[in-house]
Amino acid sequence: MPTLTLSKSDFDKLLGKKTNRDELEELLEYVKGEIDSLNQDELKVDCKETNRPDLWSTEGIIRELKARTGKEKGIKKYAVEKGDIKIYVDKNLEKVRPKSVCAVVKGIKITEELLIQLIQIQEKVCEGFGRKRKEAAMGLYDLDVMTPPLYYKGFKDNEIEFVPLDYKVAMRPSEILLQHDKGKAYAHLLKDVPVYPIIIDSKNVVASMPPIINSNITGKVSEKTKNLFIEVTGSKQDSIETALEVMCMALADRGGKIYSCEVIYEKETIISPKFLTNKITLTKSEIEKVTGLKLSNDEIKDLLEKARYDVQVKGYDFICEYPAYRLDIFQAVDVIEDLLISYGFNKIEPQKIVMNVVGSERADKKYEEFVRAACVGLGLQEIQTFNLTSKEIQCEKMNLPNEIDSFVEISNPVSINYQIMRKRLSPSLLSFLSKNKNQEFPQNIFEVGNCLELNEKAENGVNQKTNLCVALTHSNVNFTEIKSIFVTLCEYLDLKYNFEKITEKEKSNYSFLGQNSIKIKVNGKTGYMGEIDKKVEENFGLKKPVYLFEFEL
Amino acid sequence: MVNYSKKVEEILHLSDSVEIDQIKALSEIERALLINLTEKFIDLDDAANLSKLPIDSARRASAWLAEKKYMNLKENDKETFLLTLEGKKIVKNDFAENIMIKYLEENGDSSFNQLQSNANLTNQEFTVALGINKKKAFISISNGIISLTGVHKEIKQTISKELLSLLTSKSNLTDEEKQLVNEFLKRGLIEKKIISSKEISLTKNGLVAKEFLLKNKVERVYDLEGEVPRIFMGKKAPYLQFLSQIRSKLVALGFNEMPTPLVVSEFYNFDVLFQPQNHPARTWSDTYQLTRPTVSKLPDKKIIDSIRAAHENGGKANSKGWGYKWDENIAKKLMPAAQGTAHSAKTMINDKEMPKKHFAIARVFRPDVLDATHLIEFNQMEGYIVGQDLNFRNLLGMLKEFAIEIAGAEKVKFFPDYYPFTEPSVQLSAKHPDLGWVELGGAGMFRPEILKNIGIDGQAIAWGFGIDRLAMFKLGIKDIRYLFAEDLGYLRKAPAVMLDDVRSYLCQH
Repeated sequence: MPTLTLSKSDFDKLLGKKTNRDELEELLEYVKGEIDSLNQDELKVDCKETNRPDLWSTEGIIRELKARTGKEKGIKKYAVEKGDIKIYVDKNLEKVRPKSVCAVVKGIKITEELLIQLIQIQEKVCEGFGRKRKEAAMGLYDLDVMTPPLYYKGFKDNEIEFVPLDYKVAMRPSEILLQHDKGKAYAHLLKDVPVYPIIIDSKNVVASMPPIINSNITGKVSEKTKNLFIEVTGSKQDSIETALEVMCMALADRGGKIYSCEVIYEKETIISPKFLTNKITLTKSEIEKVTGLKLSNDEIKDLLEKARYDVQVKGYDFICEYPAYRLDIFQAVDVIEDLLISYGFNKIEPQKIVMNVVGSERADKKYEEFVRAACVGLGLQEIQTFNLTSKEIQCEKMNLPNEIDSFVEISNPVSINYQIMRKRLSPSLLSFLSKNKNQEFPQNIFEVGNCLELNEKAENGVNQKTNLCVALTHSNVNFTEIKSIFVTLCEYLDLKYNFEKITEKEKSNYSFLGQNSIKIKVNGKTGYMGEIDKKVEENFGLKKPVYLFEFEL
Repeated sequence: MVNYSKKVEEILHLSDSVEIDQIKALSEIERALLINLTEKFIDLDDAANLSKLPIDSARRASAWLAEKKYMNLKENDKETFLLTLEGKKIVKNDFAENIMIKYLEENGDSSFNQLQSNANLTNQEFTVALGINKKKAFISISNGIISLTGVHKEIKQTISKELLSLLTSKSNLTDEEKQLVNEFLKRGLIEKKIISSKEISLTKNGLVAKEFLLKNKVERVYDLEGEVPRIFMGKKAPYLQFLSQIRSKLVALGFNEMPTPLVVSEFYNFDVLFQPQNHPARTWSDTYQLTRPTVSKLPDKKIIDSIRAAHENGGKANSKGWGYKWDENIAKKLMPAAQGTAHSAKTMINDKEMPKKHFAIARVFRPDVLDATHLIEFNQMEGYIVGQDLNFRNLLGMLKEFAIEIAGAEKVKFFPDYYPFTEPSVQLSAKHPDLGWVELGGAGMFRPEILKNIGIDGQAIAWGFGIDRLAMFKLGIKDIRYLFAEDLGYLRKAPAVMLDDVRSYLCQH
């Protein structure tokens, strides 16, 4: 979701109306936009249309609003004059970055506002829509310092060098990738390539190395620039065409004149930009089925034209023509949503669903409720801790060094305090108690929560268990006290239980427990009960003894 | 107020400042303490013993009695010395320097190692003992052999372990003894401790009250409006209590609860939901990835092929699809569930019953830094309704019902929105009487690319709400971390969480 920066006065000027905040909010709904902030003239808008780069500029939003508010309708047509610039694409780029489209826009007065918008379109289109320049990267050049025809060609590292934008010395491609800020940021896109993609003119002046950086000579666009050359490179034809057209439209909306270019491959020649359109047919019954609205043919036509479709009505069919850059249109429902937005979501009367169905809670959740209610009845305070925790708490402090690699583990944690998913609840409860030493004792707490154990055989690689852990702490706490709670609980919930001694061999699996501890089995599922080892209490900084039990529900 | 006859007062010779009401209101522990005291000051501990009260109760009772002017309270600070762990060890075993002398007396000359290990001294003890005995010229060392000089026999009073324990309890110390105490302090064998003791005695009023209590059988009259201590009752965690009620609401609205695994495959989290594999939300910075486990098992080939088709060419959905080569291995990658819709995706594949309503309260994980406004894991209320004739108006109808039933909203507003898996998509805002306009969540109609390719011949309307903000309001907390409170004091004080229907019932009555 791109956040766009606009000039509020520029926006009002292009719209032809001075808007207040409420009006602005309402208008922005048409482009799925939300005001992020408005500080004097600086307006920031979150645009939720992640698949419509044509809306990512002041010009784009205004273009949409003019139709939605009824001032214009249907597809906005852009005239493209035949230009004379040719660019030859070498086939040695086939496996590197094979495709390019270009355009020329002449006669623009580049103001400060426009320049900001141009850079914004370039950046947002390349980052969001172009998947961080991987699928589309755009370059803008001062046409008047270039000597056509142009060549888009791969060079070996030792064959070429140029001064990258904002630098003073000439560098080889490999040096740019290592040293230049942009080079470092996007180096992975040209990792291990046999040749580096370069745009170069007929006087051997380098224009750029897509998708990384322009040269300092041709790549400087300023308020003095009058005629622009625009190129987009990538691997998918429809993506790069969309990116190019989005930029050309914004420039044309500001008074520029678009000229086509010839992109010449070994076996074919492509003229760009094309401003092609596509067609999709909607039936009236389809529209009614999705919207739940009864609309007349004229209403449907009007609503679609407000969303910038050219509509032809044939009986109950609506043949909708739309610009090819609308890559977000996959099928009928996408057009129907556009119709609904024109209609206005808040003008639609909500309709209650009448459905003869019965609801149900999951049995395991119901059982959990019983267990929790019983624990509350036993006078215990329920707590809730995170599933995410640390190796320090689950492993080191628990004196279970062998378990260090037995957790569900996150490879990109934000903090090592939340790097793994817990296997047991006990450490979380001990950690809780360690933070409440200043509270009155006795402290008797419980938690019902999920625990995860690795299991290669499981579909999602884990056993997800729900455990109950009860912990008691005060100066004179003892085994009888914890066992009384356990036995009372089991008898109340009609759970079969028995006890088993912890054998010498098993001791290392229970090294967080002291002498007065035992294994428990509840309805066939395992657990443990007893005193926490003195060393472990010390590790958690606990001053009073703790007795606890934990088992799988 | 009860009127007591003048006669009673006369008989009892009560002084003007003593009120019968107050005497009658004395608690059991106050009475027990009072009748065992006299005008003479005695230690609080002794008073507790005398009146057979636990020391805590005696302390409380004495404070209350002093407040009511029945009792004098005197506090004294006394300097005493307590044995440290080291000191206690010495009282048990003797000083290391004495052990060393004794060993040498019994065994003759000895090497360092021999002496230390046979006399069972730690490194530190050995070093200290060696130093002291050398300084006092009790021993001599040559070629690593320690021998007695015999000087120790000439000194009358060697320092003994009895002396150590004696000095800690003795009150009037001689100068010589004071010097020793200082040495023990320096060696860390004893530590200074200020013990404050309390002494209590009865005031004149107290004596009157005691007399009254002894002469009459006085039943306790309670101060009915007075403060009482609070009980730490067994309680549910406030956030879970809130979620339980949400769950009940949804069940009452006809929804069935879905399973909510914490670890899911990208297949369910993204692919089934028509989120392309190069989608920015699928990157490192937006979702957690796992070191282990890594690879999931996928459902049968038929389902995989239809999802592949959805991405590559739209499959059975009359859609163009995303037009790229879909990679099964990416779909197999496991991750902590990042959106509750992952569970809807799986349920749609496994349960094709129609019409049906599904919901989940799902724990989801996003890479965020934990602070007052962000959690690292949180709950999403999630679900979908599947049926033959569901449309956009039904979607809005359902959202309005939620806003009223669950959030207690007065008004709702809808905004166009975008989600990869729904079209049309909508965002719901609700006006809450206390909170104002609140963004409740997103919803939409599942895309045909999803339904048709899974094999659902109908419509499905889906929704996902982040309910933390509502929960924070209901819990009356400003810091979102308190949903997972680690503060026992807060949990003990937190009142019951009630949804609006219970609240308004309480207001009516």
